Amino acid sequence: MIQPLTDAKPYTLTPGSNGVIETQTLEVSIGPQHPSTHGVFRMDCVLDGESVVALKPVMGYLHRNHEQLAERMAWLGSMPYTDRLDYFNSMTNNWAYALAVEKLAGIKVPDRAEYIRVIMAELTRLLNHSCVIGFMLQDLGAWGTPLLYAFRERERILDLYEAVSGSRMMCNYMRFGGVRVNLTDENLATAKDIATRFPRFLDEFEKLLTNNEVLLARTQRVGVLPKELAINAGISGPMARASGVDYDLRKVDKYGVYGRLEFRVPLGDIGDVYDRYYIRVLEMRESIKILQQALRDIPQGPHIAPEVKLRNFKIPPGDGYGRIEGPKGELGFYLVSDEGGKQPYRYHVRPPSFINLTILEDMCVGHKVADVVVILGSVDIVLGEVDR
Amino acid sequence: MGFIGKGLFEGMVVTARNFVGSYFDKERLVTVQYPEERVQVPENSRTFPFLVFDKDSDPVASMRCVACKICEVECPPQCIYIVMDRDEKGKPQQRPKVFDIDISVCMQCQICVEVCPFDAIKMDNNYEKSQYGRFDELVEHLPELLKSNEFYNKIKPTEATAVDAKLKADAEKKAKKAAPAAKPAATAAKPAAPAAPKPAPVAAPTAKIAIPDDAPFTPEQRQWLSGYLSTVAASGVAPAAAAPVAGTPAAPATEAPAGNWPWHDPGLGMQRRLDLAKETPIADKLMAAMAQTDCHACGYDCRGYADAIATGAETDLSLCLPGEAETANMLKKLMQEAGKL
Ligand code: SF4
Ligand code: SF4
Repeated sequence: MIQPLTDAKPYTLTPGSNGVIETQTLEVSIGPQHPSTHGVFRMDCVLDGESVVALKPVMGYLHRNHEQLAERMAWLGSMPYTDRLDYFNSMTNNWAYALAVEKLAGIKVPDRAEYIRVIMAELTRLLNHSCVIGFMLQDLGAWGTPLLYAFRERERILDLYEAVSGSRMMCNYMRFGGVRVNLTDENLATAKDIATRFPRFLDEFEKLLTNNEVLLARTQRVGVLPKELAINAGISGPMARASGVDYDLRKVDKYGVYGRLEFRVPLGDIGDVYDRYYIRVLEMRESIKILQQALRDIPQGPHIAPEVKLRNFKIPPGDGYGRIEGPKGELGFYLVSDEGGKQPYRYHVRPPSFINLTILEDMCVGHKVADVVVILGSVDIVLGEVDR
Repeated sequence: MGFIGKGLFEGMVVTARNFVGSYFDKERLVTVQYPEERVQVPENSRTFPFLVFDKDSDPVASMRCVACKICEVECPPQCIYIVMDRDEKGKPQQRPKVFDIDISVCMQCQICVEVCPFDAIKMDNNYEKSQYGRFDELVEHLPELLKSNEFYNKIKPTEATAVDAKLKADAEKKAKKAAPAAKPAATAAKPAAPAAPKPAPVAAPTAKIAIPDDAPFTPEQRQWLSGYLSTVAASGVAPAAAAPVAGTPAAPATEAPAGNWPWHDPGLGMQRRLDLAKETPIADKLMAAMAQTDCHACGYDCRGYADAIATGAETDLSLCLPGEAETANMLKKLMQEAGKL
């Protein structure tokens, strides 16, 4: 018998007619201020004991009105704002937006700029994937170790970003028709150095993690996302590929110069957290291959299309959708230009984090509450992009 | 597969190697003990904008900014605030009186730098800008924003050298263009001095009355004015009496050679410019109503914008940013007078 704090009737647990003690489900709100929700994000969990019965993701705490702001600004003005969507991968955000505008305005990008974009995007993929794995293990309880190793490597890439674009994270590097500054030989040498060193780091990283029994126990068969569900829910990126969906925009769209580069798309078969971890490791290895080819083939030439004006840039009426394979999945910008064409009439972002997050409940139900955190970590979200 | 816990054990070996390595392996020794140590920031690194001036002796007069307000309009989070400096009579001085940047709003995007046509605003790389307060302390005003060109050369040698070379080339090109134009200007000026008994030395190179260096004149105007004043002084006519006469001289625009627009001087007031363009076609009158900075804020230079309005290619009359409402209203009035609106 449990003695209550008040002087009300003592509380007794009596078995029901079927001999089982009747219990209640408990609603627990994880977040919005919680270190493992990767930002201000809330999960409304309904728990039966420790198992999740239902889970509702609650978004919107970091809403900054990105789309509406962009509709009130010149086309170029929202370029620095795209940096702040997925603040880990400002380079790919820039690229997706520039690609959409270029499609809409019919701008041709010089070859060298395309190669520079590929180099920057693949470096971004390296830093994003290594850090995501670090964060996921942080949620697993590995504390800082893998994360800080990843950060150490990431720092080299960020140093290159700073030397090229002027800023470590908010690069604001791409422009319509190319990139803002050309890469010097010195920058290219640094990029080459990163590409040659990174495999060594990956080997070490894998030694630390891939066969680690704790990791295996906590991630295998946890948060399984079946292939059909992944397709139906519009999941993209490493998450979809971990479930065995062979869909990579670099292969499907062949945007930029990806058609000329040789690489493979790794696929998982179960779609559990472990697959999502390992897919990222494999993708990093492919990224290094792409990097080496791009660094070898990069031609000389202009880094930006000369006919593109910086100010008073106008786009004839029309609409266009530009998408790229961001590190987190399909990142797309849907733009509508109307009369005048000075700013977008409609500006819509298709953020991979947000859409990948919608499937969270299906992956979590039936698992323990401690697994929810790991599953969320494996989805790879950035709240700047989820809420916009 | 080996024994249970092999993966764990291997992981421990990696951790141990990193731990030991962090004491003497340079690769793994990555922490920088800020603030005792500082990393050298790369040249391209950017934080907040500053304004460049050229001469140490007089930062305010030699600043490159002409208060054209392009950056104010283009700044995505709208954190720049500019008020153009005017003298007592309300004549624009082609420099800002107030230039504020709210660095708590500035997102360090560098767009102001990219759009400035005068290379007047550049990015600093000072990242230690913390303040005790979060309101007034974080608004930078003109005195804090002004930094010398030497400073710019020091923090960004490559970029600054390129900018200096470009500015020098531009200045030379301008001077070259001005030299042949000086002659027709002098001829046009001749009838302007009916009071002068000896018109011959009008454009004499050895002018007795020098125009101060900082007077807001183009080289051709300077040459004409200095010759004219010398003549006036020699003939004993008071310049004050002669001044209104000088207001009417401009040769009819139909005869004016291209590029000879006496009103194209940002130092003149609106009324004065319109007077100079009185007898000219509508396009020239419109041009005289512009702020004359050739800042390209409208997407053209002053000439181009006026022509575009006159031909009907441009219908927006509010594009002249440095001219503010004054220009926009005058353009509207001129167009109405011409019966085009
Ligand atoms: S854009 Fe115009 S107002 Fe802004 S700094 Fe340059 S000259 Fe000054
Ligand atoms: S850096 Fe960007 S945000 Fe800052 S003042 Fe310049 S344009 Fe505005």
